[in-house]
Amino acid sequence: MELTDGDLIARVLVDDDQHAFGELVRRHQSSVRGLLRQLTRTDVAIADDLAQETFLRAYKNIRSFRGEARFSTWLYRIAYNCFRENARRRKEFVGIDEEQLQSEHDPQVADPALRHDLMYALSLLSLHERSAILLCCQNGLSHEEAARVLDIPLGTVKTNVLRGREKLKRSLAAWGPD
Amino acid sequence: MDEKQQEDSLDRQLREAAPYIDDEGFTARVLQQLPPPRRGRDSLRAVILLGITLLASALAYVLSDGGRFLVVAMARLTALPTLWLLALAFGSGLFFMAGGVVVALSKASEPRP
Repeated sequence: MELTDGDLIARVLVDDDQHAFGELVRRHQSSVRGLLRQLTRTDVAIADDLAQETFLRAYKNIRSFRGEARFSTWLYRIAYNCFRENARRRKEFVGIDEEQLQSEHDPQVADPALRHDLMYALSLLSLHERSAILLCCQNGLSHEEAARVLDIPLGTVKTNVLRGREKLKRSLAAWGPD
Repeated sequence: MDEKQQEDSLDRQLREAAPYIDDEGFTARVLQQLPPPRRGRDSLRAVILLGITLLASALAYVLSDGGRFLVVAMARLTALPTLWLLALAFGSGLFFMAGGVVVALSKASEPRP
């Protein structure tokens, strides 16, 4: 029988079982790395460094995980904090020049396939809209969970999801049914 | 397609657009960077603390002429008036209770990772 995240966390807490923590990393690495790749606009090297930092922080602070939220939600929060701190260091966060960032994406580079168009459209969203869309629509978090991860009010998350969805729909209108 | 169906379709496309990322040694790299298991560190700390405590006790015993200062201190304590003794016990109780409350509060306010 496969152990649940809770069982593995208990083993880490009681026995400091690093194999159990390894299993947690294996289970969640794809979603955490995927989220960070989207947040960093597919900068794989930085995203993977941040993902490593995320799991190291998770290990060091696992005693502060109270099980009130899903383990994945807790990890997303750490990942988002790592991303935010890194972006601040790189002066790319809230004061970010969106126009400059958008100009970095050459539309001709975009793949004609829907998947690539979707990822491209996603990368054009503002950071806050993108984060909300990634957490709620792609990773299946509720608005409340996303608000906790992003540390912003619930209403702001709902607004960002709504706006992000509208922009994605507009960007992908050409793919809609005729 | 109505609004809800459009949203569902968009969410599905978003999920499908995020493929599973193969581990490719990622977990191993994370595990390599973990600090050594706590059990080893804890037992080493316990051994050091116990050793220092035993050494200090032995030293204190030898230097205090076979622990004579304890007998003297107890004799002085028993010679104190009852009211003083009560005040001393009450003060000690308050002191340790305050210490316990401070520790409990610091444990409760867990740091955010």
